[in-house]
Amino acid sequence: MNPVSALGHSIIAWVEAFGGYLQFVGRAGVSGLLPPYRTRLLLKHMHFVGVQSLTIVIITGLFTGMVFAIQAEIGFSQFGANGLIGGIVALSLTRELSPVLTALMVNGRVGSSMAAELGTMRVTEQIDALESMAIDPLQYLVAPRLLAAVIMVPALNMIFNLIGLAGCWYVAVKQLRVPEGGFWDRIWWYVDADDIVGGCIKAAVFGFILASVGCYQGFTTRGGAEGVGRATTTAVVVAGVLILTGDYFLTRILAPLSVG
Amino acid sequence: MRATDEVAAAPGIHVQGIKKSFGTQVVLDGVDLEVPRGHITVVIGRSGTGKSVLLKHVMGLLRPDAGTIRVGDDDLATLGPRALRQVRFRFGMVFQHAALFDSMDVYENVAFPLREHGFKTAAGQRKMREPEIKARVEEMLGAVGLTGVGAKGVSELSGGMRKRVGLARALVRDPEFLLYDEPTTGLDPIMTAQIDNLIRGTQDRNPGITSLVISHDMAATFRIADHVAMLYEGRVRLYGTPEEFRHTDDPVVRQFVEGRLDGPITV
Ligand SMILES: Nc1ncnc2c1ncn2[C@@H]1O[C@H](COP(=O)(O)OP(=O)(O)O)[C@@H](O)[C@H]1O
Ligand SMILES: [Mg+2]
Repeated sequence: MNPVSALGHSIIAWVEAFGGYLQFVGRAGVSGLLPPYRTRLLLKHMHFVGVQSLTIVIITGLFTGMVFAIQAEIGFSQFGANGLIGGIVALSLTRELSPVLTALMVNGRVGSSMAAELGTMRVTEQIDALESMAIDPLQYLVAPRLLAAVIMVPALNMIFNLIGLAGCWYVAVKQLRVPEGGFWDRIWWYVDADDIVGGCIKAAVFGFILASVGCYQGFTTRGGAEGVGRATTTAVVVAGVLILTGDYFLTRILAPLSVG
Repeated sequence: MRATDEVAAAPGIHVQGIKKSFGTQVVLDGVDLEVPRGHITVVIGRSGTGKSVLLKHVMGLLRPDAGTIRVGDDDLATLGPRALRQVRFRFGMVFQHAALFDSMDVYENVAFPLREHGFKTAAGQRKMREPEIKARVEEMLGAVGLTGVGAKGVSELSGGMRKRVGLARALVRDPEFLLYDEPTTGLDPIMTAQIDNLIRGTQDRNPGITSLVISHDMAATFRIADHVAMLYEGRVRLYGTPEEFRHTDDPVVRQFVEGRLDGPITV
């Protein structure tokens, strides 16, 4: 095949996959709105997405806050503005670092496991078995996972904010001797509700992206154990790229919110 | 060719001219099959000839490229998702590799259809209470020779045990149409005979139900079948009674039935 038609074919394949994804997401959304509501399954997945991600979110949040405090101090100490460290780090956390890093961490843990789990169910015909029992697999398997991620990733984002700020406080106030009063004043001064809400909106969108991509890849898995492996890798990479590119567009959309 | 004996009054499953390809691979190339109500029809054929694909068409899990499938009075192609679900309510399917839910234990697997849909009665569906579910699940596990394994996880089971749990799960709601995909492959001869008895017994106790069994075990086929169809190169090569299969002149069918290496089918 010549390079031009090879490119053409891969573009067509991507467009088809994207169309398939949109259709999948739409149908899962509709299925989730219709009864019966799977509360038990929703709670189970919320536990998995949220509670079981706490450790990694706490560790990454803590060290992110601490390292940004060090970096900010290097910059601000040059013109004697160390008091700004808390405000700047808090602003970066709430608006960017927490939603993006939380989503990327949860993607690695949850997006991959959703793809692997549904992929295994697909290749071992468990999804066919559900359908054969007149159960809608989109409603039973996909909708609770999507909803759980949309609820829990923003919650984890808030925890990341708090822990990150604690890490920043420890480094700035306890180690770098930034005055405690000024540290907190600047935070209240810089960060307002819009920043926090905007960060949570981002986190919710990212949660939707990582769960829907993971479920879609799992659901459309073909070809045994190898296929499951491929689906898992693809899910993590595609969702990661979508989270980072989506972040740019979300930031542009949300920007007027904090200006106005 | 049609079976010569009586055909039950109510329609069973009727497959006409279905074709199915995956990419460039033609799997089904115009399959016609009559599965009369009140009987056991066995589809035989070599591995990879599309027997499982055929069964998935009957349940509407796959859509044919061409042809029609009628289940009772319903043409599957004309049904929306909701109506298709209503049709599936009437089915029980045993998957070739059992397809048990590995997030649940054995008991939960068998109880699952009852929890989801209740039990059917003359008046329609009825919710079941936990003691009723327990009694029914234990009855079914007993029927497949697995009393007392309810608490085991799916991964702890042997292949044969999985198959039998799959069978119990398929039968638990007393479905009207039963589809078995190689229910005895991989089981020892005694267990095979027990499962064959179960299939035959279920059919004989419920004259209104319809069984479609996929098999490549000729002895078992002759034990349980009312009608046999042989799938070969994407089509039904021969449809008839077990007697007709025993005495056919068709060299392809003879080779398969007798399990010989020499003949028109090349390995
Ligand atoms: N979903 C699918 N996608 C692509 N190929 C499939 C699919 N299902 C079955 N096939 C192919 O169809 C052929 C028939 O498969 P199957 O019906 O499982 O055979 P068997 O008669 O042994 O049950 C095989 O070559 C298989 O690889
Ligand atoms: Mg098969």
